[in-house]
Amino acid sequence: MKRVVVCLLVLTFLCGVVGVVGTAAPAYKIGLVTGTVSQGEDEYRAAEKMKGKYGDMIKHVTYPDNFMQEQETTIAQITGLAADKDVKAIVVNQAVPGTVAAIRQVRDIRPDIIFLLGVPHEDPPLVAVTADLAFETDQEARGVTIVNLAKELGAKKFLHYSFPRHMSMDLLAKRRDIMKAECDKIGLEFVFVTAPDPMGESGIPGAQQFILEDVPRQVDKHGKDIALFSTNCGMQEPLIISALDTGAIFPEQCCPSPTHGYPAALGLEITEELKGNIPGILKAINTAIVEKGGAGRFATWPIPTNYLLVEACVEIARDTIEGKMSLDDMDAVNARLEAAAGVSMGIRKLEGHEEDNFYLITSASVIFGKDEF
Amino acid sequence: MTQTHDKTVESRPTVSLDMRRMILTNGVPILFLVLSITMALVAGLNITFLLNEVVTRLGRNSLLVLSLLIPVTAGMGLNFSIVIGAMAGQAAAIAVTYWRITGVQGFLLACLLSTPIAAIAGWLAGNVLNRAKGREMITSMILGFFANGIYQLIFLFLVGPIIPLKDPAMLLPQGIGVRNTVDLINISQALDKIWRPVIGGVRIPVVTLLVSAGMCVLIGFLLKTKIGQNLRAVGQDMHIAEVMGIKVDKTRIIAMILSTVIAGWGQLIFLQNIGTLNTYNSHEQVGMFSIAALLVGGASTRRATIWHAIAGVILFHTLFVVSPLAGQRLFGVPQIGEYFRVFVAYGIIAVALALHAWQGRQVRRQEIKEAMLTE
Repeated sequence: MKRVVVCLLVLTFLCGVVGVVGTAAPAYKIGLVTGTVSQGEDEYRAAEKMKGKYGDMIKHVTYPDNFMQEQETTIAQITGLAADKDVKAIVVNQAVPGTVAAIRQVRDIRPDIIFLLGVPHEDPPLVAVTADLAFETDQEARGVTIVNLAKELGAKKFLHYSFPRHMSMDLLAKRRDIMKAECDKIGLEFVFVTAPDPMGESGIPGAQQFILEDVPRQVDKHGKDIALFSTNCGMQEPLIISALDTGAIFPEQCCPSPTHGYPAALGLEITEELKGNIPGILKAINTAIVEKGGAGRFATWPIPTNYLLVEACVEIARDTIEGKMSLDDMDAVNARLEAAAGVSMGIRKLEGHEEDNFYLITSASVIFGKDEF
Repeated sequence: MTQTHDKTVESRPTVSLDMRRMILTNGVPILFLVLSITMALVAGLNITFLLNEVVTRLGRNSLLVLSLLIPVTAGMGLNFSIVIGAMAGQAAAIAVTYWRITGVQGFLLACLLSTPIAAIAGWLAGNVLNRAKGREMITSMILGFFANGIYQLIFLFLVGPIIPLKDPAMLLPQGIGVRNTVDLINISQALDKIWRPVIGGVRIPVVTLLVSAGMCVLIGFLLKTKIGQNLRAVGQDMHIAEVMGIKVDKTRIIAMILSTVIAGWGQLIFLQNIGTLNTYNSHEQVGMFSIAALLVGGASTRRATIWHAIAGVILFHTLFVVSPLAGQRLFGVPQIGEYFRVFVAYGIIAVALALHAWQGRQVRRQEIKEAMLTE
C-alpha cells in the first residue's frame, strides 16, 4: 500500500514538473535581428526590452556592423534563425541589404515563417512584394514636413548633405526632389552638397570630419539662417555639434529620434535612470540645447523610430501568430504602433503597392526650447 | 650555438622532421580547423544547417577565390583588382535583367557578355601593374577603388541619359541611374536549380559545384601548358624569364586578363545564388573576402594552389557561420557575438599573414639545417 502511495506521489510530482515545463516553454518563438549598439542603439535597446518582456520567446541576433560588405553574414544570421523549427516569425530592424535574399532562401525551406521588417534599405517595391509586412518612415511626406519645419524655425536656406550611394536609394532620391520642390514653393533656397560616403575608403571618421569642416564654410557663405539636413546616421552628431557652434538650424535627423545624435553631440550622460526613459532624455536634451543657446532652432520626433518599430513589430508578430489580427488590417497595425509609441501616428500604404503591406509612417515634431517637456 | 642545434636535429628521426615541416607549412589552415571545430561545438549548431551553409558558400565563392590563383603563379601577388571583374559580371547581370532573358540562357548570356568587358578591364589593369612591378598588390587595390568610381559614374549618371535603359522598375525615379537593388529574379539560382538533390537534409547545388570543379581542372591544365610554364617562370624570376626569351609583360597581362574574366564569372555565380544585386556594393565584398579565404587555406602571396582555394573557402566560411553564434553562446549577449566574430575572423587573418612570414623563416631555417646535416 505504502509503495502504491509513493508511486502515485512520484507520478503526480512528475506530471506536475512536466506540466510546469510544458507551460513555461513558449509554443513558438520570434526571431529578432537588429544592429549592434555601434550601428544604432535604439533598435538594440528595444530588442533587449522585448527579450526582457517575453524571455525565451525572443531569439535575438545581430547583423554585422559592416553590413554593406558582409551580406552573406546577414543572410546566414536570418537563415540560422529559420533553422529553429519553433521560430514562426522573424523581425528585422533595420532590414539591411541581404534581407530580401535571406527571405527568399528561408521561403524555400520554411514558407510558414512571417517576416516583419523595419526601415528596409533595399528597394521598396521589391521589399513590398517579398516581406509580409514592412515599416518605413514616410520619406516623401517628410520631404514636405522637414522643409516647412525648417521655415518655422527661421530658415531662409535649406542645406541637404548626401552622397551618390544614398541618392541611388529610391525613397531618399524622391525625398530630395520633394524637398527641392517644396523649398521652391515656400521660398527657401535649396543647397545640395555631396559629402564623402561613410562606407567609402575614408570611412565614418572621414565623413564626420568633412561635416565638421564644411558646416562653418557653408554658414560663412550662406548665413546663419540655414537649415542643415543629412541622409546619413553617422553625420547627425557632427551636424548637431556644428549647428550649435555656428548658430545654424537643425530641424530633424535622417532617422528622427531623440536618441539619435543629440545625446552624443551634447555630451549627455545616459544614466541608469535615463536608459530607455524617452521623456527623461527629451527633457535633458531640451535643457542642454537651451543652455548652449540653440532654443527654438533644434527639433526632432518625440519617439525613436527604430525603438518603436522593433516593439510594434514584435507585438504585431505575436498577435498575428495567435490569430488576433491580420497583417492587411491597417487599423489593427496602427493600433499596435500607437500603443508602442504612446502618441498618435500617421500611416499609409506605399503608392502602387496597396495590396502589399508596406506601411509608411509619420509623427509630429517637438521643438527644443519652445515645446514643454 | 649552431653546433647545439645540429645535435638536436641529429637526434630526431626524419619522420618527425617531416611532421614538423607539415605543421609549419600548414599552420594557418590547422589553426583555422581547430578554431572552427571548437566554435562549432560551442555554438551547438544544428549540423544540417551548418553543412547546408558551407556547401552553399562553397558553390557561391569558389570561382572567385580560384580567380586569384593565376596572378599568384605569375608572381603578381594577391590580385585585389578582381573587384573589376566582379563589376563586369554585374554590368552583364543588369543587362540580361533588362532584356528579361531568364534561366540558364540568361545566365550563360551574362557570362558571355561579361567576358569581353572583363578582358578589356584585365588588359588595362595588367598594363598598369606592369608599370608598378614589385608593388602589384597595393596598386591592384587602389585600381579597384578607382574602377569603383568609374562604375558609380556609369550606373548613377550615364545610365538613362546616355546608355538607353528605359525600365522604370530598374531606374531611379528621376530616370537617371540604376536603383540600389536590382532583382535578379530571372537568373536567380539558374545554375543551382538545375540539379539540387537533398542528401541527408543537405541541399547540394551539383551543377554549380561541377562548374567550380571544371574550373579547377581547367586551371590545372592551363598551368601545364606552354602559357602555364611561362607564367611560372615569370613568377619565379622576371629577369631570368626575360633572358629565356619569355615576353614578361605580355605574360603578366595574360594572367590579369584570365583572372579578371574568371572573377566576372565567379561574381555571376555568386549573384545567381543570392538572387538580388546590390548595385553599388555587391562587388566591394569580393576582393577582401576571396583573398582572406585563400590565405586561410594556407596560400601565400608567392604560392597558391587549387587545394588552398577549396580548403580556404570551407574553413573561412565555416568560421564565419559558427563564430557569431559561438560568441553569443559564450557571453550570452547578442551583440558580443558580432564583435566576437569580427575579432576572431579579422584577427585570424592578421595572424595568418604573420604566420606566413614566420613559417617562411622557419622553413628556410629547417632547409639550412637539413643541408648542413647532409653535408
